[in-house]
Amino acid sequence: MINQIGNYSLFIALFASIFLLFQSSNVIRNKSKNLDGKIFSALSVQSLMVLISFFSLIFAFIVSDFSNETVYNNSHTTKPLFYKISGSWGNHEGSLLLWLLVLTIFLFIFFISSKKLLNKYRILTVLFQELIIIGFLLFILFTSNPFLHLFPIPKEGTGLNPILQDPALAIHPPILYLGYVGTSIIFSSALAALVCGMVNKIWAKHIKKWVVISWIFLTIGILLGSIWAYYELGWGGFWFWDPVENVSLMPWFCLTALFHTIIVLEKRNIYQSWTIILSIATFSLSMGGTFLVRSGILNSIHTFANDPSRGIFILCFLLVLVLLAIFIFFIFQKKLSNNLTKPFLASKETAIIVNNWFMMFFLSVVLVGTVYPIFLEVISGSKISVGPPFYQKLILPFLIPFLLFMAVGPKLKWIKDNLSKIKLNQIMLFILSIAISYFIVKFFRVSYLLILPLFALGFFLFFVTIKDFFSKNSTMSQKISHFGFSLFILSILFNGILAKEFSSNMKVGDERKYLNKIIKFENLKIVEKNNYKSLVANFKISDEKSSINLSPEVRIYNQPRTLTSEAAINSTIYSDNFLVFNVIKNDGYYNVRYQFKPLMMWIWFSIILISVGGILSYLKKNE
Amino acid sequence: MYGKKVKLRAFFILLIFLSAILTIFLVIKALEENVVYFKSPSEIKNLSELENKKIRVGGMVKKSSIKTNDSEINFIITDFKNEIVVSFEGSVPNLFEEGKGVVAEGFLKDRSYFKAVKILAKHDENYMPPEVNEILKDNK
Amino acid sequence: MNKNIKFIIIILLSLFVFFVFYKGLEKPNNYLPEKNLNKIETNLVFKNLNNKEEILLGELINSNSFSIINIWASWCLPCRDEHVHLLKLKNISEVDIIGINYKDKKSNAKEFLSELGNPYVEVLIDLDGTKSIELGAIGVPETYLIKNKIILKKYIGPLDDMKLKEIIKIIKNEKN
Repeated sequence: MINQIGNYSLFIALFASIFLLFQSSNVIRNKSKNLDGKIFSALSVQSLMVLISFFSLIFAFIVSDFSNETVYNNSHTTKPLFYKISGSWGNHEGSLLLWLLVLTIFLFIFFISSKKLLNKYRILTVLFQELIIIGFLLFILFTSNPFLHLFPIPKEGTGLNPILQDPALAIHPPILYLGYVGTSIIFSSALAALVCGMVNKIWAKHIKKWVVISWIFLTIGILLGSIWAYYELGWGGFWFWDPVENVSLMPWFCLTALFHTIIVLEKRNIYQSWTIILSIATFSLSMGGTFLVRSGILNSIHTFANDPSRGIFILCFLLVLVLLAIFIFFIFQKKLSNNLTKPFLASKETAIIVNNWFMMFFLSVVLVGTVYPIFLEVISGSKISVGPPFYQKLILPFLIPFLLFMAVGPKLKWIKDNLSKIKLNQIMLFILSIAISYFIVKFFRVSYLLILPLFALGFFLFFVTIKDFFSKNSTMSQKISHFGFSLFILSILFNGILAKEFSSNMKVGDERKYLNKIIKFENLKIVEKNNYKSLVANFKISDEKSSINLSPEVRIYNQPRTLTSEAAINSTIYSDNFLVFNVIKNDGYYNVRYQFKPLMMWIWFSIILISVGGILSYLKKNE
Repeated sequence: MYGKKVKLRAFFILLIFLSAILTIFLVIKALEENVVYFKSPSEIKNLSELENKKIRVGGMVKKSSIKTNDSEINFIITDFKNEIVVSFEGSVPNLFEEGKGVVAEGFLKDRSYFKAVKILAKHDENYMPPEVNEILKDNK
Repeated sequence: MNKNIKFIIIILLSLFVFFVFYKGLEKPNNYLPEKNLNKIETNLVFKNLNNKEEILLGELINSNSFSIINIWASWCLPCRDEHVHLLKLKNISEVDIIGINYKDKKSNAKEFLSELGNPYVEVLIDLDGTKSIELGAIGVPETYLIKNKIILKKYIGPLDDMKLKEIIKIIKNEKN
């Protein structure tokens, strides 16, 4: 019953989309009069139907309706209610339905919130967005329908991967999707604006809200994923340069570049083509990311769903969209007002272009590292992987000039500024930063060459942004975000040079000495829980001054049979003590890993600060 | 002669051009240095020369081959044709088990001894690293 | 002119990327979970319906010839229809049919068999249904044709004449 409701409402949504596609294409023949009402009602029907369909899936999960194949594959009656609900989007079919839901609702919001703008532009945006929606609807209905019926009805489901039973991960995908899908609106509206010849200040002001929103969600989504990896995967790091992580980072670089460029467009009416190219690229990267993750083409520790036929569908769909965008771009490019006023060298415009160049560089590095193994395997057949050193080697040196520009850039004025007025106090701050970092490098005996300039510029940005809080020459949101970034860089650097790691095989009762600490494996007990058994170990880590107790767990789930390690983490504002243990073989030895990670809290906190900057920028009243 | 503006522009184009070349050069160099190749125990047997480069070895953890002491874990990776002894100091992932697929990253000491620095696994109980699966298919 | 070249280059570049990804998809799908390798889980201990002895499933399954596992229950109506075909199968093919009694009362199950006849070499009890799930079952009735611990064929829902013919054909072909 629920299955049918969900399924049929998807079909109704498909009809509504096709209707919308035809209606909105009228606008090309300049018959855009009186379309508003029709489109509004069709859009409402579409969003409502997808919403119903999504809720019927959640409902099927809540009541454990195993006649639904998706529920059977991903749920279990003993699972806690919260994870039953989050399980509905934790799988391939459900997550696509969530994508679709956000797509339609965003379009609906876009349509009702843009009434002041040119009608042709709005309807064209609907047209492009409907193309994407139809693609997704067909994809869901024909390759990954979440409402497939099972008969005879099984008595029990096969469970959800217990690794996914985690609060951070339960809300991580929806938030990331909000960011991804936001970029689709930017894509459609950029194409529409291009066709209408209205890539100008008004459009920039309007679309900026969407850019900011997508950026906030993407940032928070990446943060949540990273927090999850930190305490669930048990490796004690927060970023592994794993392909699936990189895939969410790539649109973020692009979107950050767009975020800055759109401000220039809004204020100065230049860089039109570049803005359009960035809009197209951001969305292509989001979709490309979905393709890479969902098709199983990537060799990653995170991929879950793997079905080549699905991959081929997304790939073809993506190709159609990209080709469409390229054609439109080249046909309508001449409509862009060729504003040839060259920006002066020392101006905010140039500073922002510099930011864009850096973003594009970081993006290319991550892109090359992620897809190079795929290309190489297809072309030469050899299997390789690209490790973290690749990214570090290429990104770290370029962070140095990047940080410098970040500190100086926002101070420049629009149009033209004079570099010779660099103030004495800035030079003082710069010297102070170098002195502090020299002291740090000496004190901790760091041997890595790049650390000194990185620290120096990190501190420089830190001081400059703090000082900026007392001046008036840029916006609050910018100050907070840039300050957050300096904090982020500094905490990562401290974390990088001071982190300590120790691993050993221990029996119950064993003691190990590490640095000035004693790690004692005190006891081990078995705890029976509702849907899993748990081995809870108790470790005591003591030095001369204090001691802490840590209780990591190994959980054994029944449905499906899976082993997971739950790290024990003792977090303070100064540092984290991270301990995880693992069963190797039933011979009394347990594999134990202890990590001392300074300033982890500050890494999370600084990313939150960066997104707070974005939120402020969104909330700010225009002018 | 050329005006000042033209010269300035030419200078900038040159600068951009040079930095582009420099970047591409850096990327390629970093790729060369940090690419990790994947090999099976049989491929290692047939290697003509041993390089002191990081590689990955994949296969199945041989049944009852894991031996643990205070600091090390020793085990054998097999692809059912050839095997290689692996010694490892450090922490292993959840799914490291006898009879299951494994990928070890590290350095070859000789054709039958591998010093691992990292053991990889995926968080899915049904998971077989793709490379491992292919090897096992070929040799079964 | 300049613009056209740019255009063509970008189009070619995107086609090239498309082609590479397309090729990349063609490589064997590596992530197939182990349970899809169709290997039957033999490491399951069942109680026997008649004498309560514990039996390892692996011991019942012939290692070199065919076996059939049939999951059934007395409360399941399609199983009743299916039963005739199971008896037929036993008479024609001499294959061992192992019955797994799914979430059932013992008395009802025994009554069911004495009423309709017993095609099974052994009847195993799965009281809470968990073992059937480990075998990969999603309901009753289900029938698996097994050789060398590999599931050759899986039938969800009751057997009928068509399916019966298919099973017999497979067995004959493999023997020759």
